Parts: sequence; C-alpha cells; structure tokens
Amino acid sequence: MSQPVAPVRHVLIEGNKTYHQITEDLCSPTEKVPSREWVVAFAVSAAFLGLYIFAITWTVWKGIGEWGSNRTINWAWDITNFVWWIGIGHAGTLISAILLLFRQRWRTGVNRAAEAMTIFAVICAGQFPIFHMGRVWLAFFIFPFPNTRGPLWVNFNSPLLWDVFAISTYFSVSLLFWYTGLVPDLATIRDRASGFRRKMYDLASFGWTGSAKHWQRWESLSLVLAGLSTPLVLSVHTIVSFDFATSVIPGWHTTIFPPYFVAGAVFSGFAMVQTLMVITRKVLHLEEYITINHIESMNKVIVLTGTIVGVAYLTELFVAWYSGYIYEQFAFYNRVFGIYWWAYFGMMFCNVVSPQVFWSRKIRRSVWWTFFLSIVINVGMWFERFVIIATTLARDYLPSSWSYYSPTWVEISIFTGTMGLFFTCYLIFCRVAPVVAIAEVKAILKVAGSQYIGKNATVKRSIPDQPTIVQAKSNPEDSGFHGA
Amino acid sequence: MHHDNGIWVSADDLMREESFLQSAEKEFSVDNVDQTDGKWETNRRDFLKLLGFGLGAATIASCEIPVKKVIPYVTKPDDIVPGVANYFASSFVHGGDYCALLVKTREGRPIKIEGNTLSSLTRGGTSARAQASVLSLYDTRRIQSAGRINAGKVEPMEWPMLDREVKSKLASGGQVRLITNTIISPTAKMALKEFTDKFPNTRVVTYDPVSSAALLAANQQCFGTRAIANYRFDRADVIASFDADFLGTWISPVEYARQYADKRKMRGQRGLTMSRHYQIESHMSLTGSNADNRILVKPSEQGAAIVALYNELSGSSGGPKVNDKAAADIKKMAADLRNARGRSLVISGSNNIMEQVIVNKINDLLGNVGTTVDFSAPSYQRQGDERDMVTLINEMNSGQVAVAIVWGANPAYELANAADFKTAFAKVGTRVSLGGTIDETTNLCTHAAPAHHLLESWGDAEPKAGYYSLIQPMINPLFKTRQAELSLLEWADSVNLNRQDAQPYYQYLKSTWASDMFAKQTKYSTPTAFWDMTLHDGIFEVPAAAGSTVFNGAAAIDTNAVTKPAGTEVEISFYETVNIGGGQYAHNPWLQEMPDPVNRTVWGNYLNIPVEWNGKDEINGWKGLTDGDNVDVEVNGQKLTCTVVRAFGQMPGTVSIAIGAGREMGGCGVGYGVNVNPWLTLEGGLVQYAAKEAKVSDKVGEDKHYACVQHHHTMGVTAKQTSDGQTINADEAALAFQGSLTKRSIIFQTNLKDLQDLEEKLEEFHAEAEHLNAQTLYPSTADYFGTGMKWGMYVDLNSCIGCGACQVACVSENNVPVVGKKEVKRHHEMTWLRIDRYFYGDLENPKVVYQPMMCQHCDNAPCENVCPVAATTHSMEGINQMAYNRCIGTRYCANNCPYKVRRFNWLDYTTADTWPANEERVFRVEEGDKPFYADNLTRMVLNPDVTVRSRGVIEKCTFCIQRIQEGKLTAKREGRALLDNDVRSACQTACPTGAIIFGNLNNPESEVNKASQRAGALAYKVLEEINVRPAVNYSAKVHNSNEELYS
Repeated sequence: MSQPVAPVRHVLIEGNKTYHQITEDLCSPTEKVPSREWVVAFAVSAAFLGLYIFAITWTVWKGIGEWGSNRTINWAWDITNFVWWIGIGHAGTLISAILLLFRQRWRTGVNRAAEAMTIFAVICAGQFPIFHMGRVWLAFFIFPFPNTRGPLWVNFNSPLLWDVFAISTYFSVSLLFWYTGLVPDLATIRDRASGFRRKMYDLASFGWTGSAKHWQRWESLSLVLAGLSTPLVLSVHTIVSFDFATSVIPGWHTTIFPPYFVAGAVFSGFAMVQTLMVITRKVLHLEEYITINHIESMNKVIVLTGTIVGVAYLTELFVAWYSGYIYEQFAFYNRVFGIYWWAYFGMMFCNVVSPQVFWSRKIRRSVWWTFFLSIVINVGMWFERFVIIATTLARDYLPSSWSYYSPTWVEISIFTGTMGLFFTCYLIFCRVAPVVAIAEVKAILKVAGSQYIGKNATVKRSIPDQPTIVQAKSNPEDSGFHGA
Repeated sequence: MHHDNGIWVSADDLMREESFLQSAEKEFSVDNVDQTDGKWETNRRDFLKLLGFGLGAATIASCEIPVKKVIPYVTKPDDIVPGVANYFASSFVHGGDYCALLVKTREGRPIKIEGNTLSSLTRGGTSARAQASVLSLYDTRRIQSAGRINAGKVEPMEWPMLDREVKSKLASGGQVRLITNTIISPTAKMALKEFTDKFPNTRVVTYDPVSSAALLAANQQCFGTRAIANYRFDRADVIASFDADFLGTWISPVEYARQYADKRKMRGQRGLTMSRHYQIESHMSLTGSNADNRILVKPSEQGAAIVALYNELSGSSGGPKVNDKAAADIKKMAADLRNARGRSLVISGSNNIMEQVIVNKINDLLGNVGTTVDFSAPSYQRQGDERDMVTLINEMNSGQVAVAIVWGANPAYELANAADFKTAFAKVGTRVSLGGTIDETTNLCTHAAPAHHLLESWGDAEPKAGYYSLIQPMINPLFKTRQAELSLLEWADSVNLNRQDAQPYYQYLKSTWASDMFAKQTKYSTPTAFWDMTLHDGIFEVPAAAGSTVFNGAAAIDTNAVTKPAGTEVEISFYETVNIGGGQYAHNPWLQEMPDPVNRTVWGNYLNIPVEWNGKDEINGWKGLTDGDNVDVEVNGQKLTCTVVRAFGQMPGTVSIAIGAGREMGGCGVGYGVNVNPWLTLEGGLVQYAAKEAKVSDKVGEDKHYACVQHHHTMGVTAKQTSDGQTINADEAALAFQGSLTKRSIIFQTNLKDLQDLEEKLEEFHAEAEHLNAQTLYPSTADYFGTGMKWGMYVDLNSCIGCGACQVACVSENNVPVVGKKEVKRHHEMTWLRIDRYFYGDLENPKVVYQPMMCQHCDNAPCENVCPVAATTHSMEGINQMAYNRCIGTRYCANNCPYKVRRFNWLDYTTADTWPANEERVFRVEEGDKPFYADNLTRMVLNPDVTVRSRGVIEKCTFCIQRIQEGKLTAKREGRALLDNDVRSACQTACPTGAIIFGNLNNPESEVNKASQRAGALAYKVLEEINVRPAVNYSAKVHNSNEELYS
C-alpha cells in the first residue's frame, strides 16, 4: 500500500489519538476533583511556602545578620540560590524558543510545562536579589525613575543593575510567551465549562473564538515572541555571570563565565524539566504525550551540556595554571583542594561524571535513571554555584580576612521555602491550565499519518490498560526524535 | 428664665411657653436639630464628617513621632559654639599608666581623646587604654551616689551623712589602712599626707595590678632610688629585653614606643642604621613580636638567661644554666651588646629582686648607667609593693584594722592572694570604697564614696621627676560622685580646704601649684599667669639636669639567688595584655573588642599553645589541639577550663595565658575569659607571673563563642622538611603550593643588611605593576586628581608596633559600634581600621609584621562600579565615599573589595533603627540589659559629626572626612590655604610612633609625600599590580636581625 506521508516522519503522540481524545485527556485534570497525590503534594508545598514566608519575614524583621554570611563572605546561599533558580528557568525558554526555531516539533509535548517552570523558577530566583538586600524596603532604588533626589540615577556600570533589566525582561517575555500559548487552550476549557468557571476562563482567554484571523495573529505573535526569547536564553545567564566576571576577585574574574554559565543553565534547566515531567506524566497519565522519546531527547541535551560544563571546569583549571598569576592559581587550587573541597568534588561528580551514563541508550530511556540523575544534576549545579561564590570569597587576596561560612536555619528555610513556592505555583498551574499545549499538540498529531491509515485506523482509542497496542504502534526504533 | 431686663427674644419667650423654656435651658444643644421621633439617626453628611474625623484622628495619632526636645542655650556660654569642638589639655592617669591628653569636647561633653604633642614624654602619642577612657565616663555601671553598700547595691546617702559616719569610725582611734595603686599625683599625695597626719595610725598600702616591686627594690639597692630608671630607648643601638613588654604594657609603653620607633624608622638612604632588639621570652609579647631576634627560654629560665648574659659580660661563671640554644644565642647577643657600649640597654620584666639587680649590674658593665639607664629623672609610674599587702592581710586577720579605705584599687580581684584578702578584709569593721563601680572589692565594702571619673576630676600628675601635667574636668559630674582626694581631705577635716568654694579641690590644687610648682620656673611672674598657661598647655616640664647616676658597687651579686629552671614538662606564664591590662580596663567594651595584637582574639583570655610542624605539610597545635578547643589546665592544684589558641612563637614546652580576664563583677567584662590570678604565686611576697608546672588536659570540649578576627596567621613561615632537611615554606606546603602566599604583594620585608636586594626587587615589582596597570582603555586617573586636594596616607610598617591605639581611636572618632563576642565570632566585627598581623620567618620562632589596614580609597575602586545604586562614589579629592542613605545593602562592594575593609551592618548594632523589635542579638553589657547603644548615657560618647549607621548599610573608613571638612572650614574662615597640619586623621593622631601619616598627595611639601619619597622604592601599595590604584602607601618592613643566631 502506498503511503501518503513520508516515512521519515514518525509518531510524536502515541496512542492513535483523535483530536477529541486529546482535548479530553489534557483538559480533564483541570476539570476533575484533585487526586489524593495532588492534595498531599499541595499541602507539603504550601507548608514549605509557609516556611519561606516565615523565614523571609524573620530576615527582614531582624536583619541579614540572621544569616551565616560575614565580613568576608558577603554572599553565600542567597546568591547561590538565585543563580541556581535562574539557571533552571533556562530550559523552558530554550525548549519553547530555540527548539521552535529549529523546528523540533517534539517540543510541543513539554514546552508548556517547561515554560511554566521557567516562570516559577524566575519568580523563585527573583526573591533572592530582593531579600538579600540589607534594606529591602528601599529596593525600588534600583530602578531608574525620575525622582526628587537630584535626580539621583542608578549606576549603569553595575552588573547588579544589568541583572535587574535582564531578569525583568526575561520574566516579562517568558510570561507573555507562555500566556500567549495558553490563550487557545484556555478557550478550549472555557468551551467545555459552565457557570462561574466558564466566566473566568472566558476572561482569561480574552474572548478567543478560534477564527482564522485569531489563529493567524496568534501564530505571528508566537513567532515574534520566540524571536525575542531566543537571545534571552543566551543573554540572561551571561549577564548573571557578569555579576562575577566583572569583579576583581580571583576565581570570579574570568572571561569563560558567560558560555560556561549558559551551558550550565541549560543543563540544570533540562534536569529540572526531567524531574517535573517524569512526575507529571505519571500522575496526570500523560505518558502518551510526554513519551520516553521526549525523555531521551532531553537526556541527550543533558549529556551534551553536562560535557560542555565539564570542559569549562577543566578549562578554568588549565587557564589558572597557564596564566602564571598567583592569585588565580591559588583560587583554583583552593576550589579543588581547599576548605570546601567536598563541594567541588560533589559538583564534579554530579555535573560531569554522572550524566555520562546517558551515553547508554538503555539508561537514557529509563524513567527511573532519568529521575534519579535529574536530581543529582540539580544538586550538582547548586554545588557549582556555591563553589563559585562561597569558596572564592572565603579565600581571596588578603589571608588576614579569610573566613569560613556555614548557613543558619534561616537560610536553609528560605531555600527549601522557595522549593515550596515553586511547587505550589506548579501544582496550581496543573489544576487550572493544560500542562501540555492542546492546540500545538493537535497540530503535530498527524505528522506521521501511518497510524491512521489502513488497518491501523481501526484502533480508535487509546486504552492505557492495553499497553500492547500502544507499544506496537510506537516502535521506538522508528523514533522521529532527531532533535537534541 | 426670667425677664429681669425686660427683653424678650420671641413671642414664645414673651408668652413663657413651656416648650420654649425647656429649649432655652439647653441653649447650645443640637438635640432637636436632627432628632426625629426621639430616635437618633445619623444623616449622610454627619456620617461622612464623623468618618473623616475618625480616620484623620486615627491617622494623626498613629503617625505621632516621639518628641525629643532640643533645648537651646538661653545664655550661651562664652566658650561653646554649637557644632564646634573645644579641646582641653588633660592627662590620662590610671594607677601608673600615664598619657598627656587633649580632650575633644562638643557642646560640653567629652567625646574623643587626643594626644598632647607638647608633652616630651608621650609626644602626642596615645595608648588604646587612653583612647578608650572616654567611654568609661559614660559607663552605665557607675555608682551614682554615695551610700551604704548592701548586697551588691548602693543604698544612697547624702555626702554629709556618709562623711559623718566615716569620720566617726576614723575618730574611733583604731588602725586605718588606705589601699591604693600607684599614685603619681603630687597634690593627691599632699592630700594623703594631710589625712595620715590627722590620723597617725594610718598606713598607705600601695600595690600595682601588675607588679614591678622587684625592679623598685633592686633600684633601691643599686642606685639608692626606689623608682624606675629613665630609660632611653632612643639612645640604645642594641636592646635586650628579658620578658619586659616595654612597647605594650611595661611601665610607660607610649613613651618607650616613641623612643624605640625613632631608632627604627627608615630614612631611605643606604648605609642607614637602626637599633637591634633582642627579646628573651617564652610567650610572644607585643614587644617580642617587634623584636629582631627572639631567644626562647622557658619562664623559669629567665633568671638563668640573665645570669648567662651576666657571666658572659663579666667573665664569671656559676648560677643556673639556660637551655643550650639560648646559651649560644645569648653569647652572640652579648657580643653585640658589648660592641654598643654605652649605647645599649638591658631590661627585664622579672619580679625577682636578684634578677633585677643583675640586670642593673649588666647595664653597669655595659656602660649604660647614666646614658640609657639614668636616674636624673626617674619614673614614678610604678610604686607598689605587694609584700605590703601580705602584711596588711595579716594585720586585718588579726583584727587590728578598724577602717580600710580602698582607693582606685581592686585587690579582691587583682591580687594573687585575693582569696586571703577577701577573708581578711571581711574582718575590718568599716570598709570604704572610693571606686567608681561595684567591682569585686567595692562589693565587699560597707560604704561607697564613689570618686569622679578622670574626665570629671581635677588633678595633676608627675609620671617622671620634673615632668608635671594637669588634669582638668571636661564635664560637670554626671552623678553625685566626689573627687577622691576631696573625700580624704574632708574626712581629715583639712584646714586648707575652702569649703565655701564650688570646687574646693580645684582651689586646693591651684594653691599647691602656686606654692610648689610656681617656684620651679621663672617664665611667669605671677602664680595666676603660670597656672593659666600650664592649664592651657596641660604640661609643665622642669627636667632635672642630667645628674650622674652611679651604680652602687656594694650591691651584692648572687647568681644563685635567681629563679631556678624547673625542668618540668610544661610551664605556664601569665602576661598582661595591651588592652585590658591586669583587669583594670576589662569593663571597657572598646578595649574588650580590640583584638589582642598578637593572637587577634577578643573578649576574654585564651591559652596560647605552641604550634608544631610535622616535617611535611601540616602545622598543628600542640597535642593536636586547635583554636577554640577547651582544655582543663591545672596549676598549683587549681583547675580551670581554658580555651586554646594556637600561638606562633610560643616556646615548645610552655603555654601562656593573659591575666585580667574573668572579672566577676562591675561591668561588661564579667564572664569573659577565666580569672587566672589564683594561679599566680608569691615568692618572698613578690608575685610571679609564671608557674613551674601546668598540667594541660586533652580536649574536653569546644568554646562555641571562640572569637578571633584573623583565622590565617602566617605569611609564609619556613621550616625544615624531614625528608631531605631542606628549608621550605611550611605555610605554603600546608596551604597549597610554593609561592601561593609569599608571592602576594601584601607584605614585603627584609633584613637590614639585605635592604638593597629588596629595593631592587621592589623596583622591579613597581615597574611590572606599572606595566600591567598601563594596559587600559580608560584615561589615566591622574587627569582627574591632578589638581586641588588628593588625600592619601602613608603607613610605615617599620614604625608600626601593632599596639592598637589607632584602632580604638577610629572606633571612638567614627562611632564604630561594639558588636559583642558572639557577633565577632561570626566575623561580624565592624572595625574600620584593623591591624593585620602576619608571622613570617622561622616557624618555631617567627617574626611579625603588623599592617594597619583601612579603606585604601582606590582611584579605580572596584567597590564603586559594582554598586547598583551608586551609593559609593569617588569624590573629586580622591576619597571613596559612602552615602549611607542611598545604600540598599547588596554587599557587592564588600565582596569586590580586595582589602576586605568594608563592613556591613548585619544587625541593628547601634539601635539606630526605629524598630526595636530587632535588637535581641545586639551587644549589651549584661544579659537582660537594654542594648548598649540604646542607653542615653552611652550615646553621649557618640561623635555628633559622624552619622550613626543603621542596619543594612555598608560602612567603612572615610579618611575621617569630618576632620577634612573641619580643616577646610577652618582654613576658609581664616582666609588661607589649607595647611598640611590642618587635617589629621584619628588614627594618625593616636599613633604613639608616628607610623601613620595622612595628607594631601598633591602638595609636594606635605608630610605624606615627603615620607613616601624618603621611603623610595620601599614604598609600595598593597596589591599594586591589580590596578585598583589605592591611595595608601606602605613601606616595607625592615628588621635588623642578627642572623648568626639562626645558624
């Protein structure tokens, strides 16, 4: 039988879905009574969010002195967490923007959740630059606004100011992009809803009717925003790296930081996407939308970026030695063998060694391995930022001022608390919006049309408890995942 | 209502209607206006009115700011211009500690201590103790009135009542004893004499918290004068000090430091000379840390070491033997001393009479008597003899003493036999304390007759024969206290006291000076003119003509009468610290928070243990102990738990610990450290600052508040590698790799004989740095700062002895908050100026370089460009400025400061916040007190010219910008250009050795420029090559070691 579609295109959505099934599958989590898993997870997250609010209130009330930072190590967990969270956000933007431009159509399965993750991660990240300020009530000083103090302007030389612009731009563009994608899907939910709920979704979907003109504009806007987001993937973490690279402190003052930070950000971001997706697809029964192929593709990104990061680590060491500059050499010697050696080796193991197991196809396609390693990588990337920040500061130019840092309960609470903030947001998101982009998934449903032709067409529904069918029609050997 | 006047207002009125009458009763009532049917109904307008009023009232009430009234002068005092400081000459006298002062007062309250440059003894230098004395004026623990003492509290009494009671006891005819520390005031001695004349059964018993009784006794034997010699360190080319900490604590350190530094300053020419200083000790004292050579002997070997030198010089033999290495070294030292005949000086801190006699004999043998050791102007700064206290204790025990008066002493804490004293003291019927706080002794007294603080007192001082100075009050007494001398005169019913006068003791003092001092001079013809000028200058010096001092040949030398080496495993020595002394200064928070110069710890005393080198790559504490470990130490059968600090330069087989800590009552020093006075022993009645055996346990715990401001101590100490016997950089072997520390451009040092090498090396370094720094896209900063003022500093590391006076001066001048031990432990100290201390040289017997480190005011400041809100900027005069109000506290500037001099207000240390809920972790004198700075009395010490910083902002050294401003205004007002001397920073004026010079770098004639030029290539900038372009020049440290000692 001749096939009407090219054989190179393969199934992206498994289970021989119909369009209606997709709507059903993806809208239902927002329409049903929450599952027990969700309720428990939400309760735990909300509790941590409560802890976060308590610890932040404590800090603002009593002073930064409640933290463990000191005259030598003025930044520690605060900025470590900031960079960590910002890095995590990068995967969402990369998936939605860069992969869109690269026509990686598999991205539609994960982009919505990844973008949501970006936004929530940036929200978490944004807490730290604000609340690490000694006088947070004057935080508005960092905005260049007309004022009666001279006018007193901000310092455009300061990388911290660049941060303000970079992060606020990043947040607004990401939010727009994400919400734009949500509009048709919210309209879909609206159409299925009634009463108050319908009213709310109507409001949220901006009166979307699905007319051709709407779709045309929507497509254009999405493309424009993707174009805007693309440089942001590179610029945001570059600017974050400037917080360190433009300083005079040996160990911070290096030109390698921008690419190294971006690679690390994508690396940690994909790890976090994996962590979330592995749970989400299981809990919300979305295995057919977020497939093993997705997981494998992302693992490929992880092994690539992890290796880039590894090369960066080694390059740093080489350059420190090659520079012949005593302070630089000492800074890196100290990083590896100094007081925080365990953080360095933790970082090396988690970020460079552990992802190498993904060269094995079997491990790459294992949900358990993926989940475990995604956690390991997230830990490793946290260590990386801690190593860069605290270890460097602890041993700088003047030995007389060398010091040691360990966190107090307040800092630990704030960090774990931002996890609560993040997951609370994510869980609410799961309940109010489809975690997979309905409209976009529908667009790629039939890229490989073979599943709907001939005898295959007899399979009308996806039946999760009949996995044989699913498996037969989505032979991994035929994977269309050329990406990553 | 009745129409008495025949006027009616309406028909109703005329008709006298009932309803009208009722309403007219309530003329101003509004009842009927809105009343309908007898029910209340609020209409809309009223509701809005009420709402508006309620809201407004509530808002206004809640916005109310507490009113603090500023009361203007109704009649302005002639001498006080609000906002302009007045300086009055006075003196710092505490026991035998002395310093000539100028006291800065603002609006009638003293806020800062400066040195009096007219004094030829201290020459404008000060000590940390003198600097901090202004804070103790505002001590909240001061006794506020006379009274009876009951259970640690003073039950207030009026002075006449107290006088009546005390006088009746005195008149009872029993024995009277007056316990004092050294008194150097001639007028006070006159008052004392009046008192003893009136009550002839009185004896004055004098002891010193840290005794020099043996030295006094030896001088009596050898020179016929019971006084301290007039030492001339400025004439000594070779100095040998046997455990005498003459730069830090011994007799008159400010005076000696200046003399010493005069012989140590680099003049910038080759072939220059400097003195050579040997220190023979076991524990590294401040003086030892400045020595060119330290010879390590155990505490019990001090006598043997002195004998070794004596034998070497006199050609005799006999007496105990010192360890072999020290014996060989002393031999070489003796050669040096002999070569500098008449230009050398040997001193000893020993409290053994024979040892001091031998030291005197050594000086005689070296021809120093009459040159560097002379008695033409002997010092009276130590007069005490603790043997008298033993007698006194016996007398008290036997019940002979009816009245004991304690004046300025605290024997219940300070004595080695304090326990005996306490028991005996309780047997005295009437015990009167003239002390200012409820300390250990005052607490045991029956009556408190609190004396004024120094800054409220009149007085005079004669620290050295012929060198007089005056003490004048800076402020009216804050409390109902009374001058101590006046109390004595009052009790003695002195006839010379003009009781009608408002200030009887002032008149008394003045008449003494008119009768005694006036005659000693010829310059002024009337006593009044003489008095006025002397009071203005603060000092009056009539040095005796250099008489001939002759060593009494009859003084017998018995080399066997010295302390015998103990031969025990571990010996312990006890030393006085620069800051809290023998405990007299323990209740001053500024001094407590000033790090010990050598081991850099604060708030308490720590057991110094030796460090050990494992021959390969580890520097460990003795017994595997480390900083902050607790150990049990048993000395003379008494066990105490001490916290350990690893101390470089501590001789193996010895440990040491400071006295003066572990105070039990009286102020903020209570509860910090351990009181080791019970460990002191008396030998022949003389207290010994060492014990022959200390049993140190293994680690028994940890001090979780161990507070030390510097964790890494060394700058590349060297040691032998076991494997090949090579001398390697042990510090770097333990830390990272060879060169990782010593190649840093922080400290440069050399031996005098290798000076040329260092100069060449530094020239190369300067050229390299200049080359690196020239690689820039930006125009040279010289363009910005080439004209007008450009402030800069020069710090002479060769003069800096690390005494810490500058640090306390900075705290005082700039309102730098005290944060307390727990916060220092967390490295939250706020000091703007710190003195970094680095050990270098031989690991077991290292040398020290002190480096005062403050904001370097970089022209290419890394802190400035990273601040997002431009809170820290560069002034046109080259000053790195902080705008506290703009600071939001991101702390990036502090991270990016290569010198780590920026300080962040982690908590509300100054209670400047209007948010008292956050004050629980800030410093308090005692738990349960209100925060230290929340007390209005304490706040009186604040400098009104300097902003008190609130929580959450960064602060740092401003180069005393308020002084710069003041100098500029003075010059402007006087219509002249700013002179070099118009602006002097607080650290500069405090320094006893002139190590810090501040001024205008654009003025080629300024001292700061001239000093940098004199130093030539030796002048360098810390981290010169990283292109931050600091404004502070340091000069390399040059020592003058005898390298034969290391062979």
